[in-house]
Amino acid sequence: MLRTLRLAALLGGLLLSAAASARDVDAATYGYPLTNPFEATIATTPPELRPELPHDDDINQADYSLNVRPERAFTLPDNFWAVKKLGYRLARQDHPAPLIFLIAGTGARYDASLNDYLKKLYYKAGYHVVQLSSPTSFDFISAASRFATPGISTEDAEDLYRVMQGVRAQHPRLPVTDYYLTGYSLGALDAAFVSHLDETRRSFNFKRVLLLNPPVNLYTSINNLDKLVQTQVKGITSTTTFYELVLNKLTRYFQQKGYIDLNDALLYDFQQSRQHLSNEQMAMLIGTSFRFSSADIAFTSDLINRRGLIIPPKYPITESTSLEPFFRRALQCDFDCYLTEQVIPMWRARTDGGSLLQLVDQVSLYALKDYLKNSPKIAVMHNADDVILGPGDIGFLRNTFGERLTLYPHGGHCGNINYRVNSDAMLEFFRG
Amino acid sequence: MVKKLLLIATLIASSQVLAEETPPTQPVVDPDGFTEPLKTLKFNPGLDQREFERATLTALNIYDPLEPMNRRIYHFNYRFDQWVFLPVVNGYRYITPQFVRSGVSNFFSNLGDVPNLLNSLLQLKGQRSMEITARLLLNTTIGVAGLWDPATMMGLPHQSEDFGQTLGFYGVPEGPYLMLPILGPSNLRDTSGLVVDYSAENWINFLNVAEVSSNHPEVWVLRAVDKRYTTKFRYGQMNSPFEYEKVRYVYTEARKLQVAE
Repeated sequence: MLRTLRLAALLGGLLLSAAASARDVDAATYGYPLTNPFEATIATTPPELRPELPHDDDINQADYSLNVRPERAFTLPDNFWAVKKLGYRLARQDHPAPLIFLIAGTGARYDASLNDYLKKLYYKAGYHVVQLSSPTSFDFISAASRFATPGISTEDAEDLYRVMQGVRAQHPRLPVTDYYLTGYSLGALDAAFVSHLDETRRSFNFKRVLLLNPPVNLYTSINNLDKLVQTQVKGITSTTTFYELVLNKLTRYFQQKGYIDLNDALLYDFQQSRQHLSNEQMAMLIGTSFRFSSADIAFTSDLINRRGLIIPPKYPITESTSLEPFFRRALQCDFDCYLTEQVIPMWRARTDGGSLLQLVDQVSLYALKDYLKNSPKIAVMHNADDVILGPGDIGFLRNTFGERLTLYPHGGHCGNINYRVNSDAMLEFFRG
Repeated sequence: MVKKLLLIATLIASSQVLAEETPPTQPVVDPDGFTEPLKTLKFNPGLDQREFERATLTALNIYDPLEPMNRRIYHFNYRFDQWVFLPVVNGYRYITPQFVRSGVSNFFSNLGDVPNLLNSLLQLKGQRSMEITARLLLNTTIGVAGLWDPATMMGLPHQSEDFGQTLGFYGVPEGPYLMLPILGPSNLRDTSGLVVDYSAENWINFLNVAEVSSNHPEVWVLRAVDKRYTTKFRYGQMNSPFEYEKVRYVYTEARKLQVAE
């Protein structure tokens, strides 16, 4: 008797605490092995702790393309022939099933590894899956973005929405029962805005929407990312650049190992070796990867809009033209530079002005606060040590989402999405 | 009443457990639970270091005098890949079962172990040569002419050595970067290595494959399809207007790494 009572009390207590606030996962029960946020971001979960997924050969999938903006075929230079149409990937079940849209993160194409992982996860659970490129991705900017200046979340959501409608129209016979939506990193922010748009457009009536590691304040996030390349890295000298430093470490690692073996465990294994990178070096590496994204975005946006900041307007480009001089110029433009030189001027011209603060409010999750607060179908999963967040961001998520926020203690930026505990929670959320 | 008391007791107990589990060395800085990862990093004081720019600009300096032609070939390869190669590979994937495909891959990989062994010997790498010899023996006999790969399961992984690497090992410089039609990125040194490896293979005529394929070009086609099937690279996967530059850098550095290792 007492025992059942105790159990009831325990369950009651758990329920009470769950209803009151966010689901905070404590580190001990979570069991994620990478407590270093930078390591988690780069190496992600060790292979043996990932969920079991189907092999590519066992998935009925194909790449398709949409002609969203036919005029780009004429305005884009010759060597952009491959991105005049927008590619996407569809994995279909052989029976009526719900369809889930996946939106990739900053600068990532539909087939980015994390997006592909999510496809496998949801495909195995019985969903049709559509993988979409991020609105900041090179192919999306050139083929599907109306203003070709990503960063204004509402406009990006409109572009994405058209693409989703196009995808649906291209497969009229696909038996879809319900629509779901998810995205990671910037894709999660996009997903929130797309879901908001869907409340009025009603093409899909998304049943559930899951945001994985979204930026809360977009300006904080881009500043954090820009700052990562400013770390003081030991070992950089006048003769050794950062890349040489990392490559030398990698070479020594392989020499000690005796052979070259590129696999999923490589990065994890590398960090366990004597050649492992320090926090500053890892931060620099993450920052570097985002700098390449910002260079691509700045260049593509400038080229399509003919702003003349990086490439002179009407500069003749054929398939043999070297783009290297423009690459050299574009790589000096970080996110902040792209924002001030391209996004803000366009946004001011189109919307009759406004300050940076107003822009930040409009493009961040703040803009959707009331909607997110009152939409039980939207949930968010985030990490307490995510590098794209700033102080107060998690507080905003707690206030807004309440018990629909799951906060993991570790994982860095998206490093734990392929951890089995997370993938189970993700599937559980969509199961309802 | 009892229930209420128990509830309070459980809550207190659980909070105690929680308190015990929180490591004392890591105080939560933020009442929200945010651990502020950037606080742990050492930044340069002025936030004005240009290391990313310096490193990337240096990395772009790769000797590429034939760039206009290389770029044309790059675009040709991209198209050929999308319109011919990958559709053929998909068809191949569609009509053959998995075990046939892995058999084909293993067979050609076993053939490739002959030049691997030669080049490993030329570089005087004793241990590696023994490992590759063991691989060849095991896979050709127990593995039924290489259709099966028992050596990898026994802990002898595939290790590739080509003549380009051998030349690099003896200090031959890379020469100009080259984009080869269909074969993809290369440089002058590695291209000549390719020619040497090819003629060596014809001359050795291991398992009689070279002779048979001179009469039956379909063996070559199968080999090409298998090569594409096992190569993970896709044009456009770097998703950047500067993919040409990035591929060039990655290829050059990867080869340096292979030579050094």
